[in-house]
Amino acid sequence: MNDPLFTLLIGSGILLLAVVSFFPQKGLFARMKRTRTISKKILIEDALKHLYHCEYSGVGCSIESIAGKLSISEDDAAELVAKLEEMGMLSSQRDSLQLSNEGRSYALRIIRVHRLWEKYLADETSVDEREWHHSAEEFEHKLSSSDADELAAQIGNPVFDPHGDPIPSTEGDLPEKKGMPLTALKFGEFASIIHVEDEPDAIYQQLVAEGLYPGMQVRMLEESKERVRFTANGEECVLAPLFAKNITVEQIKLEKTIEGKFKNLSSLKIGESGTVLGISKALRGQQRRRLMDLGVVPGTEITAELKSVGGDPMVYKIKGASIALRKKQAERIYLHSEKSEMN
Amino acid sequence: MVAKEKIKNREAILSTANNQRWEVGENFHDTLMESIYSNASAIAKRSVTLPAQKETINWEKTLDKILTSRYLGFPIMFLILGVVFWLTIEGANVPSAMIASFFLDTIHPILKSLSASIGLPFWADGVLIDGAYLAMAWVISVMLPPMAIFFPLFTLLEDFGYLPRVSFNMDGLYRKVGAHGKQALTMAMGFGCNAAGIVATRVIDSPREKLIAIITNNFSLCNGRWPTQILIAVIFIGAAVPAYLAGIVSALAVVFIAVLGIVFSLLVSWGLSKSVLKGEASAFSLELPPYRPPRILQTLYTSLIDRTIFVLWRAIIFAIPAGVVIWLVGNITIGGETIANIFIDWSNPFAFILGLNGVILLAYIIAIPANEIVIPTILMLTVMSLGLSGVGEGAGVMFELDSIAATEEILVAGGWTLLTGINLMLFSLLHNPCSTTIYTIFKETKSVKWTLVSTFLPILMGIIVTFFVAQIWRLIASI
Repeated sequence: MNDPLFTLLIGSGILLLAVVSFFPQKGLFARMKRTRTISKKILIEDALKHLYHCEYSGVGCSIESIAGKLSISEDDAAELVAKLEEMGMLSSQRDSLQLSNEGRSYALRIIRVHRLWEKYLADETSVDEREWHHSAEEFEHKLSSSDADELAAQIGNPVFDPHGDPIPSTEGDLPEKKGMPLTALKFGEFASIIHVEDEPDAIYQQLVAEGLYPGMQVRMLEESKERVRFTANGEECVLAPLFAKNITVEQIKLEKTIEGKFKNLSSLKIGESGTVLGISKALRGQQRRRLMDLGVVPGTEITAELKSVGGDPMVYKIKGASIALRKKQAERIYLHSEKSEMN
Repeated sequence: MVAKEKIKNREAILSTANNQRWEVGENFHDTLMESIYSNASAIAKRSVTLPAQKETINWEKTLDKILTSRYLGFPIMFLILGVVFWLTIEGANVPSAMIASFFLDTIHPILKSLSASIGLPFWADGVLIDGAYLAMAWVISVMLPPMAIFFPLFTLLEDFGYLPRVSFNMDGLYRKVGAHGKQALTMAMGFGCNAAGIVATRVIDSPREKLIAIITNNFSLCNGRWPTQILIAVIFIGAAVPAYLAGIVSALAVVFIAVLGIVFSLLVSWGLSKSVLKGEASAFSLELPPYRPPRILQTLYTSLIDRTIFVLWRAIIFAIPAGVVIWLVGNITIGGETIANIFIDWSNPFAFILGLNGVILLAYIIAIPANEIVIPTILMLTVMSLGLSGVGEGAGVMFELDSIAATEEILVAGGWTLLTGINLMLFSLLHNPCSTTIYTIFKETKSVKWTLVSTFLPILMGIIVTFFVAQIWRLIASI
């Protein structure tokens, strides 16, 4: 019984078992929780959401597209549609499926929770950008309307989610769809990104990896069937048209744009100074408020003062105070480049 | 009818307002802030005249350059912190002994004879004097002097402006594990006292990083655990090597445990920031205040009152009931056996798997108010469970021996081996924080969940680590 080898094996076994079952997200427990949640209710809600998205972007919707979207068989999808019709959520006219008012408001409630949750994760937590959508897909079915209202009040009743999508109001109002796909821009035109579509996932991950987010200034360089080449905040970017379509832009007046590459705070060497142009949209929530409280607003002059032992963070003189900022933050604070300073 | 009209009107206004907000867009708050700043600076420009601009004092810049330089930054830091710890450990010995002899050798006998003269019953005398009073006296004599030295020194460094530079230098490392550079300070503070280290996490203003600093603070070997580490290292590890190496090897063993604690704190920080703490917001900024001459009197006052007395008071409050419990488990009998002996016999098989023994487990449970009283409790329990006569002060009365050899004799009689010694050192590093610290964690986080995590995570790690050390040790020994 007290044979050390035997005890050792038992102990390792228990430890291994604990790790396998409780590992976050990949463990047995987490998996079990996830599979259990795919219930009828969720299928209905997801189908309504899909129908609403089709309607909003003016694309037709069919039983096949529902089956594809929800990864269920077409028979199941047909059954689901029948059930929705029975509930009075939608009517099928000729070939297309039409949401009823009731169905639309149900879908909007779900979308509201989804986008609020994404906004919450972006501003109030340090959850990675790539996980926002997955987490929201889960929480949209869990949070009740009143929970969502409470959450909205807590984060200041936001009107846009971090991807640039408008958040439906409690009454289910949504503004008209604005902007146009990036691919519609012509050579040399300026625009700013107002929305980055978060589905399908594979495309969204790619766009995040490229560092694209709402608020960036883009200028089209080349638009062909094979590729779309453009600058985003001065950084050149090449995407396949399929990917570029998932970015919505709005044209902007020319005088506000900045020529050439954006200069950022992290490019300053010790002793050099620069004037703040703005803070990137990628710095959100508390982090953004903190920087603004410290006086990092357009027009403030900042001097690089001191490097730490490892080179990151660095100390900057901001409004008379010495503030240490990490490289990742400094990269997201834009400065006037010398050229625009002369103007 | 009118009321209905009003509600309709209100709803119309609200929905118009909502639509306007979509039109205004997201930049609204930023724009507001920017215009406030530009207004303020325009007003300031008009109405504030600055004295002719002075060159920023040169020595400050030079000092900053030296303290954060690539080659000197870390050596200077290790040197300064090393001196502070050395002063604390060395300087505390004499006053500790003086306070202990006053409370234990002078006051204790007086109280005893007093209680005898007024005819206090045996149990009341035991609970009050041998239990509550002794525990309190012990805690004061071992806790007060090191804290009264460490905290003022630390506060002086902080006041002068050196500690923010340490955070600045250390941030690179802490960034990699998802924590804040200021955690280096709260960790260093934890080497003095974990409860004080946890209070110190207030300087971290980012919620996620603050929680990480609180949960991992217990991995800093606090003042109450250093003496245990040193004693056990001298007795068991020093004895395992040739005599001329004993001193250096046992010192290295203690340093190894402290460094192991730092490694664990970094690993756990990393794990926490990647898993359970993702849901907390994170915002980094660190101000480097200008250097200023330390205000010595004020520093002494605040560090003695705000830190030393504050922590000591909490410790005393928890020590008194624990003293009562310690005395009671040694004196209440069920079927002719004391509660302590029953628990020890019952927990021995489990403790054996961890390479420890039932006495150690019981000591860590009942000596929860302060790590300082773990060794006296272990000695008392060992003597009692073995039924040794001629040593110790009687059932339920904690004691310490003047000579290390005598302590060793008791422990070896209690069945201790080199493995028990090593595992006790590991378990002393990896076990729950003392009750003062647990209470402070609750006060700071206001969350039962995080308090439980900070309490049970180290125990779990301690059980895992000692288990594997014990099994592998025995496996190697059996070959």
